[in-house]
Parts: sequence; C-alpha cells; structure tokens
Amino acid sequence: MTAHRREDRAIVAGLAAVMLVGAAASVGFGAIDFSPGDMASAVWRALFSGDPLTLNQRIFLELRVPRAILGLLVGACLGVGGTLMQALFRNPIVEPGLVGTSSGAALGASLFFVLGAALGFEASVWMLPVAACIGGVVATYLVFALARSGHDGRSSIVLLLLTGLAVNALCLSGIGFLSYIARDPQARSIIYWNLGTLSGGNWTSVGIVGVATAGGTALALFHAKQLNALMIGEDEATALGVNVGRLKWIVLTINVLMVAVATAFTGVISFVGLIVPHILRVVHGSDNRFLIAGSAVLGATLLSVADLVARLSLRPAELPIGIVTSVVGVPVFLSLLRRREYLF
Amino acid sequence: MNARLLTLGLCVSAAAGCGRFGSQPATTQSERIVCIAQVYAEMIYALGAQDRLVAVDYSSTFPPEIKELPTVGYHRALSAEGILSMRPTVVLHDGNIGPPQVIEQLEQLNVPMKTFEAQPDSVEGTKQLLREMGAYFHKEARAEELCVTLDREMAAALEQATQYQDHPRVAVIHFGRASNIYMVVGAGGRGDGAAAGRMVEWAGGRMAIDRPGMQRMASPEVIAQANPEIILMTEYGYDRLGSNEQVAMLPGVAQTDAARNGRIYRVPEHELMYFGPQTGENIGKLAHLIHGR
Amino acid sequence: MLHARNLTHRIGAKALIENVTLDFEPGRLHLLIGPNGAGKSTLVKALARLLRPQEGTVRYGDVAVESFSDGALARCRAVLSQAVEVAFPIPVRDLVMMGRYPHFRGSHPGAVDEEICDEVMRFFDVIGLADRIYSTLSGGERQRVNFARVLAQVWRPSPEDARYLFLDEPLTFLDVRHQIQFMKQVRAFGARPDVVTVGVVHDLNLAARFADRLVLLDAGRVAADGTPEEVLTGDRLPAVFQITPVIVRDPSVGGIHLVFH
Repeated sequence: MTAHRREDRAIVAGLAAVMLVGAAASVGFGAIDFSPGDMASAVWRALFSGDPLTLNQRIFLELRVPRAILGLLVGACLGVGGTLMQALFRNPIVEPGLVGTSSGAALGASLFFVLGAALGFEASVWMLPVAACIGGVVATYLVFALARSGHDGRSSIVLLLLTGLAVNALCLSGIGFLSYIARDPQARSIIYWNLGTLSGGNWTSVGIVGVATAGGTALALFHAKQLNALMIGEDEATALGVNVGRLKWIVLTINVLMVAVATAFTGVISFVGLIVPHILRVVHGSDNRFLIAGSAVLGATLLSVADLVARLSLRPAELPIGIVTSVVGVPVFLSLLRRREYLF
Repeated sequence: MNARLLTLGLCVSAAAGCGRFGSQPATTQSERIVCIAQVYAEMIYALGAQDRLVAVDYSSTFPPEIKELPTVGYHRALSAEGILSMRPTVVLHDGNIGPPQVIEQLEQLNVPMKTFEAQPDSVEGTKQLLREMGAYFHKEARAEELCVTLDREMAAALEQATQYQDHPRVAVIHFGRASNIYMVVGAGGRGDGAAAGRMVEWAGGRMAIDRPGMQRMASPEVIAQANPEIILMTEYGYDRLGSNEQVAMLPGVAQTDAARNGRIYRVPEHELMYFGPQTGENIGKLAHLIHGR
Repeated sequence: MLHARNLTHRIGAKALIENVTLDFEPGRLHLLIGPNGAGKSTLVKALARLLRPQEGTVRYGDVAVESFSDGALARCRAVLSQAVEVAFPIPVRDLVMMGRYPHFRGSHPGAVDEEICDEVMRFFDVIGLADRIYSTLSGGERQRVNFARVLAQVWRPSPEDARYLFLDEPLTFLDVRHQIQFMKQVRAFGARPDVVTVGVVHDLNLAARFADRLVLLDAGRVAADGTPEEVLTGDRLPAVFQITPVIVRDPSVGGIHLVFH
C-alpha cells in the first residue's frame, strides 16, 4: 500500500506538471499573444513599480490571468463534483448535474435573462451568478427533499437518482418555456449560457470560485475513505462505521457548493465531470483518495486546454467552451465505455 | 440535452461554413472601429466610412464586402479579449450586446463605447441616425444625400402604392440565425418585426396575421388560418430550405394560397427586417414582389 | 455477552420481528434458522445496529448498543452480508483493507493494518487474488474476499470490548466444499472467548452440523431455542416449515441429519 500511495502521489504530481504547462499556454495565447517578457513586465509593473499599465498589460492582468485561473478552478470543481457524484451513486455514468445542480443553475440563469429583461436590470453583472447559484441550490434541495422516502426518512440512492432525472427534466422544460416566451435576444442569451464560457472571468469570480474549490476539495478528501466504503454498499458502509445518511448530505453539499458556484460564473459546461473520473480510473483505479485529488488536477488541466482551444480556433471571436468539452468529451467517453471495465 | 447538441452543431457548422473567422486586420489608419450592430455597419458603408472599420459582429452581413472583415463573434456572446485584440479606438453598438460580464470588463478597461441616440425604428428615426452618424464620421454631406435619396425613394414608393387597388395578404417568415425556429411577423406593434409590417403596408400589402409583433414558433395553424396570398421569407431560413417547393411544404404554409400559387419570395434580411438608407428602394422592390409588376 | 430484550420492528402493520428476547454468549456459534420471511435478517440487522428496532433494546455487555459511536461500534462489530457488488474496478487487497478503515485515523493505513490484511487473506486462501480486480472474480471467490474483509475488521482482540460477528446468509454462492470450509473457519474464529457469533443459515443440515445453539424463528417470533437436537424435532419442523423430514442420527459426526422426501 505504501508503494501504491507513492504511485498515487507520482501520478498526481505528473498531472500537476501537465496542468502547469496547460495553464502557461492558456495564459500566453489567445486573441492577443503575450511573450514571457510581456508577462513579466506586466507583473513587475503591477507589483513593484508605480508606472501606469499599458492597455495590453491591463488586458493581461485583468482579463487573461483571471480567466486562465478561473478555467483551472472551474475544471477542478467539475472534476471533483463528478468524482463525488459517481462515488455517491456508486455508478460510473453519473455526472455532477445529476442531482439537478446544473439544470437548476441554468433555469435560474434563464429566469434572470427573461425577468431581468422585463424588469430592466439586464445589465446587472452580479445578478446572473446569484440567480444561477440560487437555482442550482434550490433544484438540488428539491431533489433531496422529494427523494426522502416516507417510512424511514432516508433517501435511497435509486430514489435520489430517479428524482434527479425528474427534476432535471422539469428544469429543462422550464428553460424551454422561458426561451419560448422570451424575446429573441434573451432566448439567444439562454442558448449561449447553456454552452458555457469563461469570458466573464475576473478577480472577484476567481476569489469566490477559488474558495469553493479549495474548501470543497479539502472536505471531499477528508471524506474519501468513507466514500470508498460506500462503494461496497450502504449497509456494508454502515457496518464499517460510516454514517451513510450524514455522508450523503455532506457530499451533496460539497457538490452543490462546487458545481453551483462554478456554473454560476461560467454557464453549463458538460462532460468534464463525467470523463475526468473515468480517465483516472482507467489510469490508476477507483480509490477515492486518489480520484479526488487527481480529478481536481485533471479537471483543471482539461478545462484550461479546452478554453485555449475555444479562444484560438476562431480568433478574434470565440467558441463557447461547452462545444469544445463536448466535442472532446464524447469520443473519449465512448472509447472508455468500450473498454468494458465497468459493471453496470 | 438534444437541443443543446443541436444548437452546438449548428453554431459550429455556421461558423465553419461562413469562413469569416481567422482573418487578420488589414487597415492601419489611426481610427479603428469595431461595430457590433448590423444597422450601424450598413450605414457606415453607405456613408463611405468603412475604411475605419476593423471588425464587425457575426450578424453584420450587408453589404457583401463586409464579410472581408474579421468578426468578433456573436453579439450576445462577445469576448472582451477578442474585441481588444482588434485594438479599437471605439466600439459602436446599439445596446443589444452581451453577456453582461463582458460589457462590464470592457467598461472597466475604459474601452470607449458608443451608442447613437437616434432609434432607426421609423423612416424619420433612420434619417436622424444617418445624420447623427454622418456628423460623427464627418460625412455630413453624404448623410444629407442619403436622406434626400431615402425621402425621394420613399415618396416614389408610396406614390406607386396608391395606384394599387388590391392589398394582398402578406405573411413574413423570419428564421432566427442561432436556431431553426421560425417566426411570423404580425401587423403593427413595436420592436422586432415592426419594421417588416410597416414596409409591407407601404408596399401596398396587408399583413395577413393581425396579432402585433414577431411571434416565436407560431403554430402552423396560425399561418394556415391567416391564409396569406404571398409569403416573404428572409434569406437565412429560405436558403436553408433551398427552394420554393421546400418552403411550400412547411406545415401550415402548405395550406395557404401563397403555396398553391407559388407566390413565395426570398427577401434579404437587411431589406425587410430593419430600416436603412435603402428602405425606399427596398419598398419599391417589395411592391414589385407583392403586386407582381 | 449480547443481550436482546423485547425487540419489535414493524413495517406498516406487519411485524417483521415481535418481542424477541435472546442472549448470545461468546465462544459459541449461534445460528438463526426459519422459513423465508421469518425475520432472520431483520433480527441480525437489529443485533448489529444496522437497523434500529422500534421497540426493545440491544446491549453489548453492559453497554446499550445505541450509546456506541459509529467508529467504536465498527471496531468491535463486523457484518458479512449476502452479495456485495462493486460498480468500479477495485483490487481485492484494497477491498479487504476497507475492513481496517475503522481502525486507522487519517486516510492511509498503518503497518499493523497491512499485516492484518495479509493474515486474513491467507486465512481465507485469497492472498493469490490480492491484485485481481474484484468484479472479475467468481461468486465464491467474492464471498471469501468479503469474509476476509469482514474478519479484518475484528481480527485482533480489542482491549476494552468483546468482538461481535454477524453473518447474514454467508453461504450464498459458495459450492459445497467452500460451504463446509467456510463453516469450519467461522467456528474456529468464533471459538475465541471474546467473540460472539450470530449467523443466519438456510441449510438446516449445515446448521445442525456446525451450530452450538440454534434459534428457530417463525413469523417474527422465537419458536424454539437450544441445541440442534432440542430444536430440530419431528413435531416442530412440520409446523414451521410445512415439510416433514426424517431425522437420522449421524454417528460419524455425532449429530443429527435431516432427510427430506
């Protein structure tokens, strides 16, 4: 096991190195390319010399860097969220949106677009993430409340899964209804929000998502052993001293915290939460102590590379990042499924 | 989920098929304008100020040579960096831009942004906008010339229209760019679609659907019941279907007199959906379509 | 000693177990028998605190089972259930190590835990499977791996408490050789003076052969309680199981044997 642990660490460290390369590329390239010298002088001016910044330096420091960091953080949130949900539902085809978080957030955002336009506060920058986050939390809570079974107050995993599907369908039809009644520009805003983008990143969103990422990942790692025990079943985990009811609440809360907050700032980004844990399992097994740390790093890497592709492919315009993650994610997912290492 | 994938596919194919991405700016003069409003872009060309234009948004497709310019993306899904990489001295927009965070970023970086006061929601408003933009670009004489032409062509078109005894029922079908949902335009109202209704009336037609404004995803029954004698379809949707026969097979459309008599016409979006310097001339063209002469 | 007093658990109007009072001693093998739906699994779950009965109390020694923390309970009580399925690829050694989870703080096991894992895997002859992926094993191999995991949980005596081992139909999926081998291992382990063992077994002959004491349940109540000879009698079995066996004394093992026609 010690050898195993050393291997865990080596793999996570290797992934982290790849992540740093990806992050460096993500910082350097985009609609405007920055050389290492440009970057260094921008940082030098901002931190140590009082000289006013040039426009390009401000673009670098106020748009590019926070966006690159936001990409890393959101990727980590989605990766960890996916690992947590797969562990909780003991099912490898689950993604973080399953308990209603993403679709609830999307419904919140859609309501904001439509009502915001009607009430005249469409330009308010902070209302959108707040509305999305509230939507995500409410939908997740709704799933949980509805999935509590009558006679013993516990919510079984299967009931939770099916309730999640139902609430997701409800949210999607809500979004459909809103885009139907919306005027054309709002309807298009809804469509684009559902494809995700990191273009709104700034230091404030980095701060908020950063707290969610760090707190969520640490809490998740703290419960990794219990999630491992849950792999063999609820009764078996209980016999091993795990308070399964409490664990479910904690894990769902972590997931809501990470995914709702991340989604609130970037829109719906699909497939990252699904494929990241899959790839890691193929590489090095299902131990959640490894998966949680690994999926934070690999999720961050994937999303920051996806954002780079989104920025470079049509520059100076951009592709929505959700398109890139789906285009990359679907073939990877299908090829993993064909390996048939899973028991469904 | 499926809808999302579909939209995604459409966006990708639209972007790839268009071939308007990736080109580099060619102009080097001191004034550099990024224009994110199709009405403004058309007027900039009409005023002869296009040498200052370095990039436009994805919806600005008229006049055809505008497609040589780089685009900074869809006007509701902009990115600050993309715009800034064009090193604009000013960003012109009509207020219909997004997402809000990106607009905030542009404001924080003190990127000059300008929206003209005049609203081109009438011929009078269009002339005001022409004059306002003429003043802004120091092309006052050209603006005045365009206004005179617009007035003259409008008067001619309206004069022509008084000679028509009949007023055929006309339906306008508009395909949105980002989706394959089609919309029908009704008589009167404000905002989207109002311009089309006015132009059809000036051209001696009568809007077949009397609910005001643009109606999204109108039920096929609405069109069938209105039974237009003429259907005008904007080019984006028309070209997707490809021919009159295909349009005539749309549910609801198939039951109309227009489909039976083959009176379905393709009309460029910029001629029908909003007012511009060529509106008078465009009304003349519409009158020809509607009255067959 | 394990004491159960007046345990009753209902779902709706139906009592799964009703007013069950029993004591279980260490060092002996107790097996619960009875027809389907008699309440055997419910009783085992209540004794193991996987289920909190609506009425009655369970005490481990002098301590009410309710007052154990989840962790403390898991360090002295282990439960083997019927079939464990794992949807993810996981090596056998990692699965067995789960039995040690309650014993180490933090997320990684110590040397003692590694040592115990090796011992139990050797005891159950699954050490050769240590690096195999659990889902690729046969049903019998899986059950042995799970028993290794469960025993890893209570393999060493705990200084303050007795150890409690519960087996809920452990013989499912085992062939006859492994059934016998398994029962012998259970008996060998359960013979320790600080181990209380309670199991559910369907096969009456295996029960008769290995149990020190049998508890016959019928419709949630204790119908009989005692040695196999006392419980498996010609007048009681037809009433409970609705089948009449021939009871044969088997001198080779010194017990009784049931033959069904």
